[in-house]
Amino acid sequence: MQALPSVNLENPHARRARAGAWLLIAPLVIWLGLFVVAPLGILVAYSLASTGELGQVEFALNFDNYVRVFDPIYLKIFGRSIAYAALTTVLCLVIGYPVAWYIARQRPVVRNRLLLLVMIPFWTSFLIRTYAWIAILRSEGLLNATLSASGAIPAIFPEPLALLYTPTAVVIGLVYAYLPFMILPIYGSAEKLDHALVEAAHDLGAGPLRVFREVIIPLTRPGIAAGMLLVFVPAIGMFAITDLMGGARVSMIGNVIHNQFTKALNYPFGAALGVVFTLLFVLSYALLQWRGRRRDRG
Amino acid sequence: MNKIIRLLLVIGLAFTAVAGLQAQGKRKGTLNFYGWSEYIPQSVLDGFTAETGIKVNYETFSSGEEMLAKLLAGRGRYDLIQPSDYIAEALIQAGQLQALDLAKIPNLKNVLPEYLNMPHDPEQKFTVPYMIGTVGIVVNTEKVKEPVTGYADLFSEKHAGRIVVVDDGRELAVAALYSLGKNLNDFSPENLEAIRPILATWFGRVKLFDSDSPKTALLGGDVDLGLVWGGEAAILWNEDKKFQYVLPKEGAHMFVDLMAIPARARNVENAHLFIDYLLRPEVSKLISDEFPYTNPNGEARKLLSAEQLANPASYPKIDRKLDTFRHLGGDAGARIDALITDLKNAR
Repeated sequence: MQALPSVNLENPHARRARAGAWLLIAPLVIWLGLFVVAPLGILVAYSLASTGELGQVEFALNFDNYVRVFDPIYLKIFGRSIAYAALTTVLCLVIGYPVAWYIARQRPVVRNRLLLLVMIPFWTSFLIRTYAWIAILRSEGLLNATLSASGAIPAIFPEPLALLYTPTAVVIGLVYAYLPFMILPIYGSAEKLDHALVEAAHDLGAGPLRVFREVIIPLTRPGIAAGMLLVFVPAIGMFAITDLMGGARVSMIGNVIHNQFTKALNYPFGAALGVVFTLLFVLSYALLQWRGRRRDRG
Repeated sequence: MNKIIRLLLVIGLAFTAVAGLQAQGKRKGTLNFYGWSEYIPQSVLDGFTAETGIKVNYETFSSGEEMLAKLLAGRGRYDLIQPSDYIAEALIQAGQLQALDLAKIPNLKNVLPEYLNMPHDPEQKFTVPYMIGTVGIVVNTEKVKEPVTGYADLFSEKHAGRIVVVDDGRELAVAALYSLGKNLNDFSPENLEAIRPILATWFGRVKLFDSDSPKTALLGGDVDLGLVWGGEAAILWNEDKKFQYVLPKEGAHMFVDLMAIPARARNVENAHLFIDYLLRPEVSKLISDEFPYTNPNGEARKLLSAEQLANPASYPKIDRKLDTFRHLGGDAGARIDALITDLKNAR
């Protein structure tokens, strides 16, 4: 990052600018206070409560809910959620990187059109797009109809593919849902990349693989990091795709939390799961930041 | 200084929001109705508003427990709720429902006597039946040739991977209790242990769990059999007669969905008006047309077509008395949930 010109705090103009800045970020601060800090406080308060016979929340300070979070079954579900989210992130990176790179290398007109194509799916509701995938993957759906019309069934596949309501379907759904969140930040980095550096590396005798590894990847690293975060974080808490495309057979942590609030009538336990889940993010984010700082210094 | 101003601003905003909500609830001529999703036609709500001028604020839930939790958390916001039998029983015991003024509900006379004075409300003081449903087995008879009459047939090895079931822990646990010949409301720790291996086997053979629309997977040919709500099976039968519905021979229950007024309701008068409106035969018929559950309204049944009445999932031929869910109490609900979570994630 480039160094910003330092602000002289004694300068009266600078002070006015500071007041103006507060005014500018006031909506954000209020928003964060109302919809992030306050709800988090409520979540923590609930997580320390217990439930009455009808599932009413009774505020009697206790840590039972947190003890239950560390029951092996929930740890297993946490682990599975992380695995699914990690697989989704890797697949998004592998698929999204070449796309972002390709778009960034085009003429500006083409580039904007291609970017528009990446964003068009957002014009439709996420749930509708998920239902569309159900229509594609189901056993009498679009995919199997195409395969049998083209003769691939039974030539290659002995019978229609039973993809829907399997873990594979969940991963397809997750990758589809989050791919744009990987492409856009990487595109941002790749577009800014000075191509002269790539050419210089070639001129100095580096092969394509070496250029990619030692020049292109490091220069687009901020985009990669942002993309991975933008995919991994929401993917880990997803519950709609596991329910709709996975047939609710395999739960992720989002499903378990959702269930505590809608069916099991255990707000406090759901809240405790939510708090642990949030802490997990804060921890991993802090770890990433710390490592990043160390790398920058080193 | 800045901090204080910001804090005040936040608090001020929060108060304005709360005051706004309260003002909305107090306005005359409204009814805050909290009902099941996909259970009441919009035309019925519109018809009521057109006739009485009362605006219906319709909010939905998709499980009885969700409704219970919200009702207990935000007391007094709802004027009319739609609890199932066992939830109503719990609410009555907890003093959360108010006694109905039956003089204001003359159309209650249209309801068939077998759906009155049931175990959840033995004196018929707090609730009025809305619709009745069963949970049973639906079979695509084009794909499954051998007869399916009970849970043992449904969950047999040869149907593995071809089954959809409702995603409802208590329903599935009850099915397992029935298959052992046990009482459907007895969730003692011993019974929960007894059904564990049965459910584990069943879950291994289930293709998907879906409470919202189990008919979708059956219609799409992704599965051939299901343990589903009667109303879903009725819609399937209307779509294609190959979908046959049967109440499991090991045991079957019905659920009675009710109308009730929470203890702290504000627009009590309007709630009574709406209940009576729903019990009119011609209005009740509109509900049956769109949501083909079992209509407890005898006068409305007379208005239904022969085909509607012949639908085996709406009006199953019942050769026995069907059980109903009772309020369990204690931590039975939590133990069922823990068992189901455990089994679903065992693999």
